[in-house]
Amino acid sequence: MKRIVLSLFAAVSLLSAAAFAADNIATLRPHTPLAENGTPAPMAKPVNSDLRQVRNYPEQPPLIPHTIEGYQIDKNSNKCLTCHSRTAVEVSQAPMVSITHFMNRENQFLASVTPRRYFCNQCHVPQTDAKPLVENGFIDVDAVIDYVKSKEGTK
Amino acid sequence: MLSFLKRLWNTIRRPSVHYSLGALTLGGFLMGIIFWGGFNTALELTNTEKFCTGCHEMRDNVFAELKSTIHYSNRSGVRASCPDCHVPHEWTDKIARKMQASKEVWGKIFGTINTREKFLEKRLELAQHEWARLKANNSLECRNCHSADSMDITRQSGRAAEQHQRFLFTGEKTCIDCHKGIAHHLPDMSQAVWMENDTKSVLERATAFLGRQDAPKAN
Amino acid sequence: MSGITRRDVIKAQAIAAAAAAAGIAVPASAQNLITDANLTDLKWSKAPCRFCGTGCSIMVATKAGRVVATHGDAEAEVNRGLNCVKGYFLSKIMYGKDRLTTPLLRKKNGKFDKNGDFEPVSWDEAFDIMAEKWKATLKAKGPKAVGMFGSGQWTVWEGYAASKLMKAGFRSNNIDPNARHCMASAVVGFIRTFGIDEPMGCYDDFEHADAFVLWGSNMAEMHPILWTRIADRRLSHPHVKVAVLSTYTHRSFDLADIPGVFTPQTDLIIANYIANHIISTGAVNQDFVSQHVNFRKGAQDIGYGLRPDNPLEMAAANAGSGDSEPMTLEEFAEFVKPFTLEFAAEKSGVPKETLKQIAELYADPKVKVMSLWTMGVNQHTRGVWMNNLLYNIHLLTGKIAEPGNSPFSLTGQPSACGTAREVGTFAHRLPADLVVTNPAHRETAETIWKLPTGTVPDWVGAHAVLQNRKLRDGEINVYWVQVNNNMQAAPNMMEEGLPGYRNPDNFIVVSDAYPTVTAEAADLVLPTAMWVEKEGAYGNAERRTQFWHQLVEAPEGAKSDLWQLVEFSKRFTTDEVWPAEILDANPDYKGKTLYQVLYENGNVNAFPNEQRAEGYGNHEAEDFGFYIQKGLFEEYATFGRGHGHDLGAFDTYHEVRGLRWPVVDGKETKWRYNGKFDPYVRNGAPFDFYGKPDGKAVVFALPYEPPAESPDDEFPFWLSTGRVLEHWHSGSMTQRVPELYKAVPDAVCFMHPDDAEALGLRRGVEVRIKSRRGEIISRVETRGRNRPPKGLVFVPWFDARQLINKVTLDATDPLSKQTDFKKCAVRIEAV
Repeated sequence: MKRIVLSLFAAVSLLSAAAFAADNIATLRPHTPLAENGTPAPMAKPVNSDLRQVRNYPEQPPLIPHTIEGYQIDKNSNKCLTCHSRTAVEVSQAPMVSITHFMNRENQFLASVTPRRYFCNQCHVPQTDAKPLVENGFIDVDAVIDYVKSKEGTK
Repeated sequence: MLSFLKRLWNTIRRPSVHYSLGALTLGGFLMGIIFWGGFNTALELTNTEKFCTGCHEMRDNVFAELKSTIHYSNRSGVRASCPDCHVPHEWTDKIARKMQASKEVWGKIFGTINTREKFLEKRLELAQHEWARLKANNSLECRNCHSADSMDITRQSGRAAEQHQRFLFTGEKTCIDCHKGIAHHLPDMSQAVWMENDTKSVLERATAFLGRQDAPKAN
Repeated sequence: MSGITRRDVIKAQAIAAAAAAAGIAVPASAQNLITDANLTDLKWSKAPCRFCGTGCSIMVATKAGRVVATHGDAEAEVNRGLNCVKGYFLSKIMYGKDRLTTPLLRKKNGKFDKNGDFEPVSWDEAFDIMAEKWKATLKAKGPKAVGMFGSGQWTVWEGYAASKLMKAGFRSNNIDPNARHCMASAVVGFIRTFGIDEPMGCYDDFEHADAFVLWGSNMAEMHPILWTRIADRRLSHPHVKVAVLSTYTHRSFDLADIPGVFTPQTDLIIANYIANHIISTGAVNQDFVSQHVNFRKGAQDIGYGLRPDNPLEMAAANAGSGDSEPMTLEEFAEFVKPFTLEFAAEKSGVPKETLKQIAELYADPKVKVMSLWTMGVNQHTRGVWMNNLLYNIHLLTGKIAEPGNSPFSLTGQPSACGTAREVGTFAHRLPADLVVTNPAHRETAETIWKLPTGTVPDWVGAHAVLQNRKLRDGEINVYWVQVNNNMQAAPNMMEEGLPGYRNPDNFIVVSDAYPTVTAEAADLVLPTAMWVEKEGAYGNAERRTQFWHQLVEAPEGAKSDLWQLVEFSKRFTTDEVWPAEILDANPDYKGKTLYQVLYENGNVNAFPNEQRAEGYGNHEAEDFGFYIQKGLFEEYATFGRGHGHDLGAFDTYHEVRGLRWPVVDGKETKWRYNGKFDPYVRNGAPFDFYGKPDGKAVVFALPYEPPAESPDDEFPFWLSTGRVLEHWHSGSMTQRVPELYKAVPDAVCFMHPDDAEALGLRRGVEVRIKSRRGEIISRVETRGRNRPPKGLVFVPWFDARQLINKVTLDATDPLSKQTDFKKCAVRIEAV
């Protein structure tokens, strides 16, 4: 059986062989032979649109839709919380830090944001206008459910 | 002593015997220019970034921090130097600030912040002086460059435009209220927040929320 | 629903995309709340994170054969529900559009040609040409011309299967993991001081310590979840102090009470000063030292692990020597006496007050101190010494092996401990700290493996850097690279790595999920199943072994490293690879395939497929017809059980969030060498460093010696390289996640603004970073997360377009053979 599968593969491979014959296969290093040096892309510009993006799944930390250049997050001060803390959002109209951020290691809710979540940029990152070198084929759960539904509907 | 002062007074009020009024007036005028000019030159000399960063206290701490901020390098190359933000442009305020600065000379001589540790310890106090000053003058030094009237909010991010419309243009807040720590690092703000916050209003809100009289009281 | 496959879903996605483009309304679930449990139920399973050595546990949601979500495992002690940004995007690492699904072979006119272009071939053709090259090489030059380069990202059983195939099958010890670049100095440090590898403490120390001292480590970016535990401890307990020592200012300084930026290599002086401070202020824990510590003076002037004809090597009096001789505490005190506060401050550039504060943290008996280090100490031409010197400080004060008092060597990779070190995939090692040079150890291995005496060779194989040199010199001719991107990661690419791989005498095979820089330098590329596309086990930095099930199928055509190794072994018979004398003495083994003698040996194939957990696939077990992972694990565990390296029962690991070895009577061990916690401690002693015959750990007298290369007039800058938070190692996974790519798309050259100004450079301009060995082009960054002092530049190595290892020097610690990626001299020029 495995032999058959393997030879099937060979057939498929041969078909695509003509379309695929290359030396420069490293997708993250396009157009430049290994021994040479390309021109580095100009420094990407920070995205500062304030437009929230769809999360890939609800557990994903939201991306930061604005620049955080020069934001101080150290033991003295946390710039992010001046807008995102529970008490600040009325003035700032920014999203409040998630309820999970008040939980300590024992899953107990504290009076304020837990210090283990203090350094926001360990999980939340801003974006630049850089264009990804490789597409990602991740499919979000809604698309999967749509498909499951359509499949079951036709059953 | 008293007789000496009397004699001096008599000499001054007696008209001059040797010099004409013209020569005296002209001489006084010239001397005035020299003194005044010298004073102002000295004033201006001390009003430069080079002077400010001549001391390692400034150069290694606040100036080093400024270098990576937008007030040091930016798109159009218009930049702020130390006195732009920290010395008032208007004369009387400037003199007042300069007199205050004479205290800083003592600080320099006695090494109040001559190590990084000492500087960090003192940083909250120093920062609060500047915040208080800017709060009191309605962020005058900010506004010397950033005029609210000249702001084109369509060129700002949506977030900034909204905040400026709600708080800056209405006069509800002044620049320094929101823009602390933009040119230098912030001190330990857990100490600062309590000094600044209007404690009463916090308690009022807490009382309103709890809807009862035994809410926490200020002590 | 059961009939739905992964491919169906992809097809549906394409239809939806096409419909959207055509303006057709698609019933979008986003418009209505779906409540049907059949649709909304996700299958959640645990798996350790694919990235660093912290070993966070992840919950992975699958539906219809796809990973649809991941989050931090709230039940896991390591991370209690947290992930770093990389961990939160694990769902997407397997779905880069350029996943390899078929082997690729360089061909011209339908035949293999070293200078040909890559063309897709079948697995059969791939293994045929590989076997042909391997057999020809073995016949012509013997086992020393065969090599393999693996990884601390192999699963435990992959590393174990590879080690068996190389050391017993091909009878070559030329197998080394990329953990050589990462943890080798830590290993030799452990063995020299304690006689057993890996930390005595565990992550519970974070919640017990009163002070943390980071030695050349940027945990805020490199071990973010452990950093959350330090931040938690520091910020919620005001008495706690954090000291950060590094050669440049970085994000970990944001939490530092005591920051210190030191001149590269002077950490040796600082550590010796602290020992001197402890002795001269009477802070030595006399009881502890007299009962549990020996003193030894180490050999000096030991060279730099460069090629033997390098002038530095020829000038070294004791190149490569790890010898030492006994000394007394008094003699040791004399030895460290010259390392005064003034001397340390002058040489390191760290203010006296700062150094003294750190020394006081260690000297004060009331302060429980955790020292933490990774690459700053390990990637160091005196990395072993630095490890030893840090243990000195903890041993002199007795601040060791108890909650909160912990010299803690962090690991870089997810299974640097579990696979590279514990399984022993190094050129000199066998499982459970055994070594190939010891005849009794080889015999133990041969007995457990049911192989003839003499099968395992007695010579130390080529380590990572030496492998590249031997490839260039044409001494290793067939070479298999798995789960790593060593063309991008290894030092001195232009003089050693690239000429080695492209040497016409050599045949290079690279197994990877994606077409990396290393794959491009290869002759044959094999498509590989990754992470939860296979059943696996990793071991993290605190001795915690964690398992996971295969949760989704790999893209059709991609196979795990384990499958590749075992399947390849079927292509060889013992007669082809073993010498006649072994076979004549053991005629039963004649005519058998390597597969039969290595994997169908009654151990590895002892567990039938029925023992597998229900509801999870296992493509290797399905192909081979037995529960191969369990068989490999159980055979491997035989090495350590009863010898201080005990692992628990296979099935337990699939239930729990990992266990810290030694696991004795089902119970894990949190603090080794401590009588209260460690069942191996003898005779009820409070402490017993049982890795050494007399139960005593060693304090080593070791001096300062200069780095291999320092800045001069021609190359006036230090170059330090390293990672960034958003990318894992060479970026082959994280650069394919758009959110991570867009967060940090390119490497930059971090430098001091005054240096930039002096060179007439400004932020964002192109610069050439040039050393005596090679150059790259990058852009100047004077802002941002890293702030080097004047005279030092930092360039991260994740960017395949800016291969900074063209510039680095392949000097290693002469004892551990680990490269110093943190120090070489460069020139910065405007382009």
